[in-house]
Amino acid sequence: MNNSIIQILLIVLAPVLGGLIYGVERKVKARMQRRIGPPVLQPFYDFLKLMDKRKMMVHSTHAFLGILHFISLWFALAVLIMGGDFILIIFLHLLATALIILAGFSTRSIFSHLGANRSAISILAYEPVLVIIAISAYMLTGSFDVSALYASDVPVLFKMPLAFIALLMILPIKLKKSPFDISEAHQEVVGGVELEYSGIFYEAVYTAKWLDYIFCYLLVFMFAGNNWWLGLLLVALTFIYINALDNSTARVNYKQMLRFSFWVALPMAFLNLLMTMFHLI
Amino acid sequence: MALNKFRTKSPWILHYNAGSCNGCDIEILACLAPKYDIERFGMINTGNPKQSDIMLVTGPVTKRSRERLVDIYSQMPEPKVVIACGSCGCSGGVFRGMYNCEGGIDQYIPVDVYVPGCGCRPEQIIAGVVEALAILEKKTKDMEGSVKLHNDPIEQDGQTNRREVAAVI
Repeated sequence: MNNSIIQILLIVLAPVLGGLIYGVERKVKARMQRRIGPPVLQPFYDFLKLMDKRKMMVHSTHAFLGILHFISLWFALAVLIMGGDFILIIFLHLLATALIILAGFSTRSIFSHLGANRSAISILAYEPVLVIIAISAYMLTGSFDVSALYASDVPVLFKMPLAFIALLMILPIKLKKSPFDISEAHQEVVGGVELEYSGIFYEAVYTAKWLDYIFCYLLVFMFAGNNWWLGLLLVALTFIYINALDNSTARVNYKQMLRFSFWVALPMAFLNLLMTMFHLI
Repeated sequence: MALNKFRTKSPWILHYNAGSCNGCDIEILACLAPKYDIERFGMINTGNPKQSDIMLVTGPVTKRSRERLVDIYSQMPEPKVVIACGSCGCSGGVFRGMYNCEGGIDQYIPVDVYVPGCGCRPEQIIAGVVEALAILEKKTKDMEGSVKLHNDPIEQDGQTNRREVAAVI
């Protein structure tokens, strides 16, 4: 990730790349269920269609918060690509999610409120694990900068394997995939916080989801150090793992999700922190 | 624009049961299931009126459900298309003339495509949706059409009244 042209291209093209990932994901999911599935460019067709819809908004703050959510998420992604401070990246991502939660609470729809509540619970589940992974990375490299992880010769995966496993456990929560998709559960709360968005304002929230894919897969890519091929392999394996998990599991409730996060993922990340601190690996 | 031809490639579906016996609903869900796989045309069952284009309504409109039917219809942003699925949705079916039902969906909201049959078959629903896509494209074009000024503003009670000026072609 030293090449600044690649970095800038990646930042600018992040929504397009994320849309492609989402398209491939829908195709892969369909093939796993023995369906034909939509074309790979389907997310972009959705994007073009949403532009033609009549512009309806609940109130201006609601629409504005949705657009801010998209911008702040893009900003977090840019800092991650440029190799900035890990804590800052986590904070910016939290800010983006907090904005969409505010938007969810600003309407009077009960499903929107439920979705916002559940998004807040999801943050509670994944955020501590991410922070501990960041501290582990600090113990390993002596700096909070992600660029130190990108530049490391030995892949970080071999230095802190438990952190990678903990990351794999919280990725379904972050990406809102089954079994931890309680925050957007389409059968229960009809999409949660994005419920009241429509037309061109929904586009911001819809595209932010694509950015989230890039964000999560870059976190996985980070674990490969400066070995790009290993990074791409890790991303591909994680992609298949997440889709297989999404297709094969049912939704758990929020208590089970929290219990899993606090009793399995968090101790694993903490164990990794101890191992890195005392140089056991 | 060249991009306009992609317009009809992602119709999102809203499914509402206005007192149906669930026969037609099962057929609609069968469309989404792997055998007929309606998602290959880009259709998703959103369940959210604010983000959907095509409304699939089943059942004769019972008196309890008619307010919700109109409410949901008015929450959908234009352009929108309504498909009445099944005999009951089209005309009231065997429930026509009963004290607790209305005779079909078109007594309350404008219906664009009728899909008959008691349970309408999934193939018929897909054919109906494809027909609805042509109507959806026409409606999108109409929305972009120019507005012609028919009348001049009139002086009324010392004020200029422009209320009657504009009329869509």
